[in-house]
Amino acid sequence: MQIELFGMARELIGEPRIDVEIETPATVDKLIDALARSYPQLLGIVIDHDRSSLVEPNVLLLDGRRSPGRDELFDERDRPCLLFVPSGG
Amino acid sequence: MRYRGPRDVLEVDLTTRVVRRYALEDEVFAQTLGGVGLAVWLLERHLEQYGPLAPLSPQSPLVFAAGPFAATPVPAANKHALATISPLTGLLNEGLSSSHWSVALRRCGLAALIVTGIAREWSTLVVDDGEVRIEPAGELIGASPRETTKRLRERLGDRTLRICAIGIAGERGVRFASVENDGRQAGRGGSGAVMGSKRLKAIALRGRGEVAVADPGRVAALSAVLRERAMGPATAKYRVLGTGANLRVLQRMGQLPTRNFTGAVFEGAERVTPEAARESRATFVELRAGCAGCPVQCEHMYVRRGRDRRAAAASEYESVWAFGPNCGVDDLDAVLDAIALCDDYGLDTITTGATIAFAMEAAERGLLGDEGLGTPLRFGNADVLRPAIEAIVAGEGLGALLREGVRAAAARLGPEAESFAMHAKGLELPGYEPRTLPTYALSLAVCTRGACHNRAASYDVDFRRPDAPLSDEERVRAAIEIENDAILWDSLVLCKFVRGCFVDFAEEAAALWSAVSGLELDGETLKRRANAIWRAKRRINAALGWRPADDVLPPRLFEPLRDGPHAGRRLDAAELERLRTVYERERGFVVPHPLAPR
Repeated sequence: MQIELFGMARELIGEPRIDVEIETPATVDKLIDALARSYPQLLGIVIDHDRSSLVEPNVLLLDGRRSPGRDELFDERDRPCLLFVPSGG
Repeated sequence: MRYRGPRDVLEVDLTTRVVRRYALEDEVFAQTLGGVGLAVWLLERHLEQYGPLAPLSPQSPLVFAAGPFAATPVPAANKHALATISPLTGLLNEGLSSSHWSVALRRCGLAALIVTGIAREWSTLVVDDGEVRIEPAGELIGASPRETTKRLRERLGDRTLRICAIGIAGERGVRFASVENDGRQAGRGGSGAVMGSKRLKAIALRGRGEVAVADPGRVAALSAVLRERAMGPATAKYRVLGTGANLRVLQRMGQLPTRNFTGAVFEGAERVTPEAARESRATFVELRAGCAGCPVQCEHMYVRRGRDRRAAAASEYESVWAFGPNCGVDDLDAVLDAIALCDDYGLDTITTGATIAFAMEAAERGLLGDEGLGTPLRFGNADVLRPAIEAIVAGEGLGALLREGVRAAAARLGPEAESFAMHAKGLELPGYEPRTLPTYALSLAVCTRGACHNRAASYDVDFRRPDAPLSDEERVRAAIEIENDAILWDSLVLCKFVRGCFVDFAEEAAALWSAVSGLELDGETLKRRANAIWRAKRRINAALGWRPADDVLPPRLFEPLRDGPHAGRRLDAAELERLRTVYERERGFVVPHPLAPR
């Protein structure tokens, strides 16, 4: 499944998008786990060490605008994006 | 236990040259905390004495209030508040700045500094530990804040002097002039114009006093935990990338206000994002900076390789957005130059960019010509940024129209212009698209400061759960909670960039406060303090003429978005009105008779 990357995920992997080997359709949990296995550099910064959730303020949104439910199945046509919550100061 | 830490207020009247110094009681700190809370409290006392004041009138005060953690081991906390009556909004304007000047204020033994009056000649206020002097500053007129700092240090023979200053914009009364210190700005709302109206070019501090904390061991332990967290993943995006990284994300989300909010997707976003500069190390040099005592060091500055490094400009998201997407400009060099020029002149980058974007649209509609700028006043024309900024500072031609901000300019151009004047209560909108962020839209409308993204930060709710079906009550409570949290951050004062470093912010912040100040508070009490400070802000605004009917948003936001994944979305006037009604009910604020006793 192709994932678009932003912020620290993009910085750590060095690519704007990646292909993750995963059976589709998949849930958020499955995708995070697959990402952690393929890209361990994300652990502790983008993905929690337990590989089950994202570290604040990272979020996974479909097409950059919709938060998938925990059990919702999606595939690459849903255009998953690993982003962060924008904030200023 | 008594309050530990500096408790004095220094009042300086530049007209009479009378200086008064007095100590505040424990109860004031227990109720207001410091920073914005204290500045608001002092401003309200001032208005009780003098009545509602015009922003640039002699008695209109500059109120600096130190963060209560400044000059202590608490990281990301060397900050101060600056409260004025805004010449843009006519209402309360409480901003923040940070770094060495904040530390020096407390080392002078001061919790706050209030300046009123108008000096006979351009002056510098020097607070040299316990001694106060008002010195001539004529030779500094026309100097940038950075140059002013350099020259004052030379003149006073001390390279460690801490100086805040205005640039030419403040001297000339541009209503969105900023006050700068240590490369940081109290940017929004025109505090620099208030300072300029007093013929006060700079305030130099030399503070050598020790700042005590109540429980040094506990402060050290709590600070160590916070410092460690502040070097962790919660701040990685600020440390490594800077806030400029917002630009790509907002573009992908289809929420990047473009060309004065006529769109939400900018085709040139990739060419202007600071991340692109970061990734082009052969083309751009990246310099890093940050506030004193802060482990995050969030400032990412860029300059094209081969140019003088002193021309490097900060790449904060809001600044880049204001001159980039909001003006339709996709030339990063021009955007960075515009930011650097604003810093030299002492201008708020958000309002400056928003005001130029407004003028670009006015020109495209035929309401303005090119106004002698020598290049077309059009969206996307990078060449027009510099002459437009220079015109604003000169106050001539286009600048005479724009130097009072978007609201005033639109009023002069007429009803059509008011339809695309992007401000709330006179303060120009920052770089988030309210049509896709309903909680944020409410917060923007009701924010006591006008359209301030740091006070009305409830976009966080909308970004995290963009499709969440929240009830009106849930949305309003989220907005209020975030508003009150911001008040705590701004009163304690902690940098919001470490917001992700707390597990239970109120309780942990209360523990820090108690250990530093010696006045024990718990998290619930702290939250009540935030609510009380919010009410004080509202009372000040009410005294200055604010009424609930003023809490409106620009007409454009009720028109559908034209492009991007959210095309067709718009704010629903009835829904916003409903939310405002629930908000007022939840807040329970009754507009008092102006200046009635509390």
